[in-house]
Amino acid sequence: MIKVENITKEFPLSRKQRKELGDEFKNVKLICAVDNISFKCEPGRIFGLLGPNGAGKTTTLRMIATMLKPSSGSISVSGYDSVDEGQKVREQIGFMTGQTALYDRLTPTEMVKYIADLYGMNKEDFNKRKDYLFDALDMQSFADRRISRLSTGMKQKTSIARTMIHDPSVMVFDEPTSGLDVMTSRAIMDLIRDCREEGKTVIFSSHRMGEVNQLCDDISIIYKGKLFFNDTLDKFKSEMTKSTFEEEFIYRVGE
Amino acid sequence: MKFLTIAKKELTDITRDRRTIIMMIVLPFVLIPGLFGVVYTIQSQQAEKATEQQMKVSFFGQEYAPELYQAFADLDKVIILDQIPADSVDSYIQNEYLDAAIYVNREYQESIDQNKQAPIIIKFKGTDSFGITRDRIKSLLTAQENQIITKRMNQLNLKPDIVKAYQIEYKDVASTQEKLGKFAGGFLPYFFIIFGFMGAMYPALDLGAGEKERGTLETILSSPATRLDVVLGKFLVVMLAAITTAFIALGGMYFGIQTFPDIEPWVLEVVNVILSTKTVILMMSLIIPISAFFSALLLGLSIYAKSFKEAQSIVGPLNIAIIFPALIGTLPGIELNAVTSLIPILNVSLASKDIIAGTINPWYMVEVYLSLIVLAGLAIVWCVNWFNRESTIFRN
Repeated sequence: MIKVENITKEFPLSRKQRKELGDEFKNVKLICAVDNISFKCEPGRIFGLLGPNGAGKTTTLRMIATMLKPSSGSISVSGYDSVDEGQKVREQIGFMTGQTALYDRLTPTEMVKYIADLYGMNKEDFNKRKDYLFDALDMQSFADRRISRLSTGMKQKTSIARTMIHDPSVMVFDEPTSGLDVMTSRAIMDLIRDCREEGKTVIFSSHRMGEVNQLCDDISIIYKGKLFFNDTLDKFKSEMTKSTFEEEFIYRVGE
Repeated sequence: MKFLTIAKKELTDITRDRRTIIMMIVLPFVLIPGLFGVVYTIQSQQAEKATEQQMKVSFFGQEYAPELYQAFADLDKVIILDQIPADSVDSYIQNEYLDAAIYVNREYQESIDQNKQAPIIIKFKGTDSFGITRDRIKSLLTAQENQIITKRMNQLNLKPDIVKAYQIEYKDVASTQEKLGKFAGGFLPYFFIIFGFMGAMYPALDLGAGEKERGTLETILSSPATRLDVVLGKFLVVMLAAITTAFIALGGMYFGIQTFPDIEPWVLEVVNVILSTKTVILMMSLIIPISAFFSALLLGLSIYAKSFKEAQSIVGPLNIAIIFPALIGTLPGIELNAVTSLIPILNVSLASKDIIAGTINPWYMVEVYLSLIVLAGLAIVWCVNWFNRESTIFRN
């Protein structure tokens, strides 16, 4: 369970950034990336955070994963506070982004072992879990090959394995299909569905309406840091006044 | 203990990187002794060539000083060229067709006979190899002059001692090690300071800015490892790389010199004195804190950078900041004292000089250690704080 309550995140603007943003920001010292938003992600459900690039999705997910601290408000993950109990929070989550963030000079086995060691897994549990994931993802054939020599699909599978190796109860996916081909995207979508079946709490960010429609149970629409909708996907659909998701989104955010 | 897990992974990672291996092992172990050997060989060959080369001299006024002319003519490896036009002497010397011209005028013999000073003019090119022409001419003229002085003294029934009031004997109490220390102690720390810095540079850039650029930093930040674990893990590996590189640079130079053919015995003596167990241990004890300082500094700057390229441009000018104090330490007259032992890098350079010479003052050494440990500690604290700042980690 993830509980986000009235969080705001402000970033200081450097002189250079103020200059780049133009006269409008000449005297602005802080810029608000996330503005007083609240939502809840339940176990066994997929929560979609929907919004265009720069809406504040990644900032929100980074705050959930304790990489950033909220300027105000609070986040709790499985009952742990993200600021005061950051380490406990991180023990609960698996964080995955669209850009496969892997170490090129390691092999998939070494990569997942490294993450497992950081999570304090013992050898027996690690071997069992690794074998399960590598079989499920069909990774055994390239398990000991350097990551730099793997295809994008193989890298994505490795990324999934390293995210799942410690069997987290909360999964955070930040635009996980961004830049991926159709086949790999589908594999990721299946993985997200599997996580729901396993009763995990899943939060997933995307700017693609189609993906959200296929996967999510609950959604929040975020735009320029503000929340414009927060309820079930079914309710969103029932309240739609426009013919497509895209049009409805534009209508809702008032652009 | 998560920092050890991180350090273990980082070590595996960087040792698989060809560029790091080249910087850390190949460059100091192969290239530097190789370059040193080549420079030494060329210099020795040139010096030998210059000594053995025939010296071409033109003598003007041989009729006024036949004895002096003959002395030059009898000199080994000297050719006297008589056909050089007087107005072309300068250009001949300038173009290195002629090494020197000796001018004696008609008053020469008269001055000698009347116990006066006889004027002699020597023209030569001051930029010739190792000043050998000037030395050879000077040596012959001194011998000739001594003969004339002895003759004059005999005529006056005086003992030669009368013009030499002192019989001075210089006895150097400095040990060979001390003398060698002052000679070699200057450039040796310069090498290991530079190599320590270079050894830390690439891994620091790779583990800081490189990780940020590749997007792997998020992976590690979302794990249960604390920021302190991450910094310490990376710092340990960068420091290990710096120490290894500095040590390999020393070892490479030692190995290169030992195996290099035609090396002068005095050079081997220098190396053997410098690389005694005690000296190496003491120097290593200086390398560790200075490497810690370099590592924390470079890692902090690297983490601040948005990309590997930006990190390179930030770190580049630091090379000069490191070289400058290391270079000052090689200058004569700059000694380790209560003040210089507190100046980072310079203190390592000067302390190494005294360690090699065997004249290190233990109190100054303690001061050097304290200064370096405090500095390294501050650099680590700065690096950790830097890493804890969101504006640094997510600067882009």
